[in-house]
Parts: sequence; structure tokens; C-alpha cells
Amino acid sequence: MEKLLVNIGQNLFVLFGLLAVGGAGVLIFSKSAVHSVIGFLFSMICVAGCFLSLQAEFLGVAQLLVYAGGIVVLFLFVVMLVELTKYQEKGIFQTQTKFAIPLVGAGLLIFGGVFRAALFGASAEDALTLQQGLVGATENLGNAQAVSRGLFANFILPFEILSVILLVALVGAIVLAKSERV
Amino acid sequence: MTPTLIQYLVISLLQIVAVLGFVMTLVPLLTFAERKVIGYVQVRLGATRVAGGLWGAQRGRTHQSRTITGGLNGFMWWLGKWPVISILRGLPMFIADALKLLTKEDIVPTDADKAVFVLSPALAMVAAFTVFAAISFSPGALFYFPAKFPFLGGLPFNGFLTDINVGLLFILGVASVGVYGIVLGAWASNSKYPLLGGLRSAAQIVSYEVPLTLSLLVPVVLTGSLNFNEMSTRMAADVPVNGLVGIGRSLLMFVGFFVYTTCGFAETNRTPFDLAEAENELVAGFHTEYSGMKFSFFFLSEYASMITVSALASAFFLGGHYLLPFGLQPAWNHFFQHSPYAILAWTCTPSILWFLLKIFFLLFVFLWVRATLPRYRYDQLMNVGWKFLIPYTLVMFVIAALLRYAA
Repeated sequence: MEKLLVNIGQNLFVLFGLLAVGGAGVLIFSKSAVHSVIGFLFSMICVAGCFLSLQAEFLGVAQLLVYAGGIVVLFLFVVMLVELTKYQEKGIFQTQTKFAIPLVGAGLLIFGGVFRAALFGASAEDALTLQQGLVGATENLGNAQAVSRGLFANFILPFEILSVILLVALVGAIVLAKSERV
Repeated sequence: MTPTLIQYLVISLLQIVAVLGFVMTLVPLLTFAERKVIGYVQVRLGATRVAGGLWGAQRGRTHQSRTITGGLNGFMWWLGKWPVISILRGLPMFIADALKLLTKEDIVPTDADKAVFVLSPALAMVAAFTVFAAISFSPGALFYFPAKFPFLGGLPFNGFLTDINVGLLFILGVASVGVYGIVLGAWASNSKYPLLGGLRSAAQIVSYEVPLTLSLLVPVVLTGSLNFNEMSTRMAADVPVNGLVGIGRSLLMFVGFFVYTTCGFAETNRTPFDLAEAENELVAGFHTEYSGMKFSFFFLSEYASMITVSALASAFFLGGHYLLPFGLQPAWNHFFQHSPYAILAWTCTPSILWFLLKIFFLLFVFLWVRATLPRYRYDQLMNVGWKFLIPYTLVMFVIAALLRYAA
């Protein structure tokens, strides 16, 4: 008991990580689309829990606010409004199996390598701690301050470029939706 | 002295029980107040009797009159006979309400998605109650355990559960999960009215979350913090560097209060934004198919989020743990801090009493608005949110940034 409580951060990280993987499994394997979204939601909340157990509380709560509170709601909306059974009968799902299998294999190899390096590699000791040096902050800042300093001072250019990419996606979505109607 | 791990856990548990007890007692009292306030506003009596024999516990008569509800009814009748406490005549109604919710048949519709149907009230409830983990009812220790108290002697009992440095974001994030309870419950019922109600409600909550968050950014920018305690204390009692900034701050808080409360009404699905349960269009909206304890979970979570909205509004706009709202406290303190009258000097110090009073007042405002305002139409609701509240909050945000720059 004492041992569990002393390493509580690490234990919770592993627990939340496994739960998130479980949620992702539900997302992929469940028959009903709404159940998939619930699995997705669960997985997102568990990822927020992972961030919290790494003492990245700003990131964790932002994950909760943005993904669980915003994006997954939109997913749910779309899933509930679109009648998926109609598309299922047309057989438009599960048509890319022969491409998917090699891609999944490659993904497994790459992520397995990354995980192996992160968990058992030389830097495994540092991997599970928040590194102040990464955000260029020398003094002991709060989480939100550290993240915002990183985003709006040190890495402002990549941040802005990312937002332009998002804008492109937005414009693209509108163009695609419009072209059907005209 | 610093507590050991076990002591810390025990105190946390006690604090959690205290906060949950507070909320759980407030909710039934709120339903009583709701009946009473709306009754007075609409010039009628409100609930004066519950089902069961009218003479209730009076000995004999029929078999029916000896039931619990009959007894309650008799108690209410008895309360009504006394001159002053007759105002409390509807109070036993909440016991009847609780009994009704506990004993009602728990129906799951035949074609419902059973797992999701059970999950969604739990989601709504968990989201609405977890929020209280970051709400601070009193900035410091509420009291210290006396030294002779077994095991916990000399340790503080705090007025807050946790002091997270991203407390406000935590509240917003967890509260935003509550919408799943409504949407999933509506979908899982496999019925038309709930689905329409759930979709309405989800669209409403998602669109009002934007102005709600933006209006809370004003105190964030003004204080430069996300910690609940720090924000509420600094919003209430920060001495402005010069008069002009102080006046601007107060005006901004005044406007922000109304904007935030409007969004809060929409977030909690209360009148005038309760389209999700418009009874003349949708029977009861997303919880049409729910009964018994599952329904009461939705009910509890709605009232708990009313308390949350009131707590946030009073903490960030109405002066939190201090007496005066809208950042007027520093001026008051300037004159009365060293007043010879103890009671005047006391009004300059923070206290849980002021905070609770403000919460109760805002809860009353919830009921007041429900009794007076008609419901919005759906397009009006979206217009108010996107065309008025969001631009207002953006302007407020810019002004707040300018004030911060000037300070």
C-alpha cells in the first residue's frame, strides 16, 4: 500500500495509459458508431489523466476542455445526425483492408520503437518528468506560464504556421461542402 | 505542523463529505424555494399538500391515511396553522419528492441502448459534482481541529478541496463533459422527443460555452492567474494603481457579471434558455424516457451546476469572499479598515458568509428569472449567443487587456 502511494504518479500514469488504450480499442472494435465515440471520449479523458499524472496540469485540463468538451461533441453530433446504416449497406466501409494491414504493421514497428526507446532507452529516467528546459524557462514557472511562454515567445513562428494549416483545413472543408450545393 | 499522508487523506475525505453534504442539502431546499418563489411571484400559494389522505396521520379513518405521504400531508397541514412558520408549509414536500424519486419504477425503454442509457445520467452527475473539487468556499482554513481532537488535533479544515493552479480551467473542462450526459441520454432513449431535445441542448451548450469562457477570460487577464483563490481574492480586493483603472475595472466587472450570468443560464438549461425541455414542444426534452433514480441524477446535476454557476459568478464578479461586489472593496477598506467599530472592521475581512450569501442570492435570481421571463425561440437563442454575446465578450476582453497594460 505504502509503496503504491509513494509511486502514485507513475502508477497512475500507467493506469490511465492502459485505460486510454482500452478506450481506443472500444473506439476501433465496437459495432455502433455512438459506442465508438464513447470509447474515444473515454480515451481522451484518460489521456488528460496521463498529463495530470505527469504534473502537466495545464496540458491535461486543456486536453479535457478542447478534446473531451469540444471536439468529441462534434463527432457525436455528426454520428448521431448521419444515418450510418445506409452507408453500411452500400459496403463503403472496410474496403481498404489490403492497404490498412501493411500500414498498421509499419505503425506498430515505428511506435514500438519509440516506446521501447522511451521506456527502456538511455533517457528513460527523464522521459516521465516535465522538463523545464524544453520550454526555455529557467526560473520555476507555473504550468500555464511555461506553456504560454513556449507558444507565444520561443516558438511563435511554428505556432502561427500551425494555425495557418488549420485555417487551410477550414477553408477546404467549406469549399468541399459548397461545391455540392452549387 | 504538516499532516502525515493518512491524516491528509482523512481530512480531504471529511472536506469532500462536507462539500457534498452542502450541495446535497442545498438542492432539495432549492426545489422548495423554487416552488415558494414562483408561487409568490405569480400570486399563488405554491405546494400546500402532498398526495395521501388530507388529514394524514390523524388516527384511524382509512388505511390510506396512515401512509408516509399521508403523514407528511398532515405535517404540512399542521405547519400551516402557525402564524410565522406557516411560510414553511411546503418544506416537507422535499421529503415527498425524494421518496417519490427513490421509489418510482425504474423503466428502461425496450429499444433503448441499455449501457448508454445507464451511463449518461452518471456522466452528467459526475461532471456536475467533480467541479466542486476546484471551487473554493473560503480562501484559507475554515477552522482548526482543537488540539485534543483525536488523530487530527491542530490540523486545518480548509474551505476548499484542492488549490489547483489551473483551477478555473479545471472547472470549465470538467463542466464541459456534462453535455455528454444530455446528448447520450437523449440518443440512448431511442425516442423522438428526447433526441430533438438533446440535439437542441447540445447545440446550445456548445455555442454558449464560447462566450462563457471568453467572459471568464476577463478576470483571468485582469489578475494574470488561473488559480481560483488567487483570482477571486485579487478581483475583489486588489487596490488599483490609479482611479481611472479602478473605475474601468469595476465597470468591466459589472458588465461581465451580466454577460457571464446570461451564459450561465444557457449552460445550465434554465429558463429563458430551457428549449431542451420545452414542455409544450418536446414533452420533457432529453429526459422524457427517464424515471426514478436515473431522472433524479439529471435533476441533481442541473441544480448542482446552478450552484456552480452562482459560485463562479460571485467569486469572480461579485467580490467572492469579500463583502462588496465589482471590485469596490478596496475603497470600502480604505475608509473602514481601522474603524473603531468592530463590526465595520469585520466587513473588511474575507469570510465564507459573504460568499454563501452571494450564492444564495444568485440562486434566487435563477428562480426569479424563471418566474418572470418567457422562453426564447431557437433562432433567437442562437442569435443572442453568436451575434451579441460573443462580440460583447470579445470587446470586453480587449478592454481588459488594455486595462492590464495600463496597470
